[in-house]
Amino acid sequence: MKIRSSHIPYLLILPAVAYLAFFIGYPLIQALYLAFTKNGAFSLDTVRRATSDPMFWQALKYTILLAITIVPLQLILALILALAVNGSFKGRDFAIYALVIPLTISDVAAGLIWYTMLADYGFLNKLLLNLGLISEPIHFFGYEYRMMEFLAIVIAEVWRATAIVFVILVAGLQMISKEYLEAAEVFGAGYWTRLRKIVIPMLKPSIQSALIIRTLFAMQVFGIVWILAGRDIPVLAGEGFYQLVEIKDYGVASIYALTIAALSILLGALYIKFLKAEYLEVRT
Amino acid sequence: MNKKISMLLIVLLGIAVFASGCIGGGGAKIVWASTQLNPPEERAFVLNELIPPFKEETGIDVEFVPLSYADLSTRLEAEMSSGEVTLDVVADLHGGLDYFNSKGWLTDLSGKIKELQGRTFIESYLQYATDQNGKVFYVPWMSATYVMVVNKEAFKYLPEGLTQEDVMKGTEKWTYDALLEWLENIYKQTGKKAFGLPAGPKGLLHRFIHGYLYPSFTGYETKKFDSPEALEMWDYFKDLWEYTNPASTTWDAMADPLLQGDVLIAWDHTARIKNAITTKPDQFVVVPVPRGPKGRGFIVVLAGLAIPKNAPHQEEAWKLIEYLTRPETQVKVMEKVGFFPTVKEASNAVPEGPLKILVNGVTAQSSTSDALIVMIPNLGEKGGEFSAIYRDAFTRIVLNGEDPESVLKELGPKLHKLFEEVGVPEP
Repeated sequence: MKIRSSHIPYLLILPAVAYLAFFIGYPLIQALYLAFTKNGAFSLDTVRRATSDPMFWQALKYTILLAITIVPLQLILALILALAVNGSFKGRDFAIYALVIPLTISDVAAGLIWYTMLADYGFLNKLLLNLGLISEPIHFFGYEYRMMEFLAIVIAEVWRATAIVFVILVAGLQMISKEYLEAAEVFGAGYWTRLRKIVIPMLKPSIQSALIIRTLFAMQVFGIVWILAGRDIPVLAGEGFYQLVEIKDYGVASIYALTIAALSILLGALYIKFLKAEYLEVRT
Repeated sequence: MNKKISMLLIVLLGIAVFASGCIGGGGAKIVWASTQLNPPEERAFVLNELIPPFKEETGIDVEFVPLSYADLSTRLEAEMSSGEVTLDVVADLHGGLDYFNSKGWLTDLSGKIKELQGRTFIESYLQYATDQNGKVFYVPWMSATYVMVVNKEAFKYLPEGLTQEDVMKGTEKWTYDALLEWLENIYKQTGKKAFGLPAGPKGLLHRFIHGYLYPSFTGYETKKFDSPEALEMWDYFKDLWEYTNPASTTWDAMADPLLQGDVLIAWDHTARIKNAITTKPDQFVVVPVPRGPKGRGFIVVLAGLAIPKNAPHQEEAWKLIEYLTRPETQVKVMEKVGFFPTVKEASNAVPEGPLKILVNGVTAQSSTSDALIVMIPNLGEKGGEFSAIYRDAFTRIVLNGEDPESVLKELGPKLHKLFEEVGVPEP
């Protein structure tokens, strides 16, 4: 049988669709089923059970709080670093490698590293104690010190995951044609003007992808929080895991999973809508 | 063509299913279903080290079938109702076996257990294995518990009237109040909050509350959950928390905090502190837990071996049980997987070293005169909710400082309802 050429595109995406249907569609339907049915009939019982637990709202609050603290910090830091390594200087390659190293470490391992660094008798406290700067260790961990735990999470996340934003931005910077910058220089534009009028606008597509990736990951933040703060600082993914593994309440666990999914879709849509990529070539 | 292939497949599948049950003829082959020793490394120990010597000695082959409690219970029920029993030996925790016995699925072993030579079962374990009619429905096999570990450094700060001997042996003077005084002493002299609890999300803090504090202060695990005695207990716990390392809420197991020196005294499951003791055996001792006004409450996790009624190879099954309860086999299990023996001879046979420190502590705890042994209630899949209620109470009363009375009034009915739903009497 001859395949009509108009069918070819559909045939080509068929494997991808099958994959998505099996590995994403099916679990999603399962999750919806677990979340919205009771004894086989539609019911909001599980939703009520999940949302009547104050932990749910705490988890939602902390997840969003962490995202809005960490993501902008990472973006600014990564931008500064990317601009710094964009020029050509000796040791530039080494600098890039060194900056990317934390990317190779899993979040759980990163959590453990920072736990030992910040523990009561960890590296940081020992250093400060020996220098005589403090007389008693600074407590980073424990329910009573949730602010410090929050800080520890921010430090660890920024340390670990800024690299991904950095890599995307460096790639974006390298795509910007030198000609624009040279032309601007000829017309007397200083560094700040060039940065504001040329570099940042042309970097927007990269910033957009970096932001989407980082924000979506921030919605699923789990390993680092789990290790550094346990359930002192609840997050959505952690509570979902806890409900599934410890409490064995599959319905409530699916509600957490669906909340993460809904948040991710919403944020992705918002980014795409409000951060439209601009290309200088088409903006006449 | 297609039909032929599918027919062939069905036939092949049939043969495979049939063969998997029958191959291995010659000597007898018995089926041993177990909810214990199921993690991969423990399973490897069973297959490579535990079963081969038995097979060599008796010529009986053993098929080890690891199952979850839910699967085992469903399978037994199905086999009992159909009358076609395939399981010869069943290994499970006390709660599960007790349930199977109440359904009338287990063989009476009272006659046979008396014939066993060269081993004395710990009396309290044997009591659990015997039902009201005097029927021994399982043979105690392995046990585990939760104890306290003390860094020897801490003994320097003992409060007046309490000696190291009192703590190590678990005398009457080793009480929860004495513990508090001791911790207060350490705090005043070193500025250290020296007590540690596994209060992290995967820690076993709930066991400390329902299996240690509650029975020691109220005499029961759940019955007096919201009684005046319980309020006293929570007041005590709040005081204790003042000297507990605040980072406890991030710890799942106590071995590391002990090794790091973050805490000097800690409570945890034997398997979760074992690493501290094997790493620095000179530094730590394992001691019985303190006592409260109602006695010295502690949990014993007891696993036993039973033979289902109408099991196809009763004689061979018994031989396996005889082999598994020998003192030398029990010592081997203890060394490899960290479960404690149920026969006294095995406890004495453990060689000097880190394990001996553990065994001494555990034996001292189980032989205290005021022991109040607690079993974890068998609530099946509701077990998670049960634990969550105790953890909730802890978070709200101790960490958030909510009024204990109103918290217990709110959580109490939830807890009691749980037992009602499952149909298990409240301990």
